[in-house]
This record gives sequence, structure tokens and C-alpha cells, in this order.
Amino acid sequence: MNTITLTEDEQDVLQELMNVAYGNATAVVAEMLDAFASLSIPNIKVMETSELLHQFQSLKGESYFFSTQAFVGEFSGESAFFIDNVSAKNLSTHLELESEEDLDDAILELTNVLTSSLTTRLAQEMDTQVKFSLPSISKIPLAEISNNQTFQQYSQVIVIDTQLNFEDQKINGEIFILTKDGSIQWLKNQLNSILEALM
Amino acid sequence: MKYLVTDDSKLARLSLIKSLKAHVEDAEIFQATNGAEAVELVKSEKPDIAFLDLTMPVMDGYEALPLMLEAHQKLKVIVVSADIQERAKTMVIELGAQLHVQKPINADKMQEILELI
Repeated sequence: MNTITLTEDEQDVLQELMNVAYGNATAVVAEMLDAFASLSIPNIKVMETSELLHQFQSLKGESYFFSTQAFVGEFSGESAFFIDNVSAKNLSTHLELESEEDLDDAILELTNVLTSSLTTRLAQEMDTQVKFSLPSISKIPLAEISNNQTFQQYSQVIVIDTQLNFEDQKINGEIFILTKDGSIQWLKNQLNSILEALM
Repeated sequence: MKYLVTDDSKLARLSLIKSLKAHVEDAEIFQATNGAEAVELVKSEKPDIAFLDLTMPVMDGYEALPLMLEAHQKLKVIVVSADIQERAKTMVIELGAQLHVQKPINADKMQEILELI
């Protein structure tokens, strides 16, 4: 298996594109929740899938809501969103939700809005389009993450990891964008083209 | 005129500088990669206009902005950020920025900025 690496410049370009996309997505979610989010610097890593699953499982707190949404196109992969129990409860309070069913629904809608606007804008910045292949988003118990069939499609992944943080409401989430093996070379070419155009 | 471009991303700095050079000849341009470097460059170089990102390591734009204006009161600061939440826009204007502009900056957007200030 070839080892994927990103050069310093490729990482910088991807981080900046993600920054722009995340800023856009956050504004949409902030408006939806009527709250202000503080933005953090995206963290970009290349890792093997086994390492990623280990990272997922080591996230603090035993019970997380974990939802994923796959996307396809020249840029293909999957976005994943974690929110812990405390944040979920705070979200429920903030939105004045009455039942657990309503909370599940709110989290799935939050995931949908966040990841679709984030991925769409990221693709747009790279001059391409994505289609979301799954009509619905699934909620997966943390213990079953490694059994998730979609992760079997990856050998190594470029992981873009950032935080969703509504400080006043004490709602925190973590977003991962995973790039499929077949899209990695395309992604590297796009990142280099963007940088070369400025030189 | 002296310009200061502050962003932790090389891409963002290159993109902004290219747009700036498309409109301004003989611009003297300084670059900083975080707020702390920006404050030091404002003190030493006294730029006329500073473009400032918000989300940066070491010192972010919110913290750097008042320190930059304190160091050089005639400085005009344009915040260039991906954070387009209304509260973020209001906060930077209250801190003394002339404008809040959404990233990324292209030549057309730069022209609008230069006309506005």
C-alpha cells in the first residue's frame, strides 16, 4: 500500500479552504440555533483507517451521538459528527425540546445542515460538486463504530477535524471529513493547482 | 503606502497580496502569521492599512486588533475572515475595524474594499 503524504503547502491550502467552508457552515448553524459559535483552526492529518477508528473510540465520554453522511463526486468521502451527552442535553434545553425523539431529530438535522453546507462549500472552493449519496443520516452507537461498513471503503484517509463550539450554550461537537482513497490524488492535484495559480 | 497582511495561511496571504497588487502599484507589503507578529510589525513599520484574519494561533484577531490600534492610531484595519456570523461582524467593528470582509478575497472584492476605505 502506498503511503499518502501531504506537503506543507498542500496542508496549508486544504486548511484554508476548510476554514472558509467551516465559517460558512457555522454561520448557517448559528442562525438555525440563534447562537454564536467560536471558530477553531482545522486540524488536518493523514492516517490509516484503524488509527482513525481508535481516535473515534478514544473521544472522551462513553456515550456520544455519532452521525455520518457520505458524499460522492470527484471529491468523495464521508463526513462524521460527534456530539457528547452533555452537549446533547444542553442542545435540548436551548431548543426547549420535550422528548428524546425530538432531540434525536434535532441532532440529525444539525448534522445534516452542518455537514452538507460544509462539504458543499469545500467542494465549491475546489471547483467541483458533490452529491450526497445517502438520503438519511444514521446515528451509530460508539461501540459499533468499527463495524460501520462505510469505513471498510478506506485504507488511508485524509482527516479534517474541527470543533463546533457554542460557548454560551455549552454545546460542543467534533466534525471529521474523510476522503476516499480514489479521491486523494485528485484532491492533491486540486490543492497544487490552486497554489500554482497564485505564484 | 504600507500594507500589513496577517493570516496564518500562506494561501490566504498570497491570494490577498495578489489581489492587492492588481490594484496598487508600489505597495510596500509586510506579512505576519499571527496576531502577535502583527502587533510587533505595526509598532515597527507603522503600516497605513492592515488586513487581519481572526482565527489564528498564538494570538487571534480579536485580541490583536485593539493592540494594533493602540500602537498606531491612524491604522485602518480590514478584518478578512471566514467567520461571517453577525456577532463576529459586530464585534470587530466595535473593536475598531473599518470593515469586515468575507474570505476569500479576489481582485473584484479588493477593488470594493479599496474604494470603501
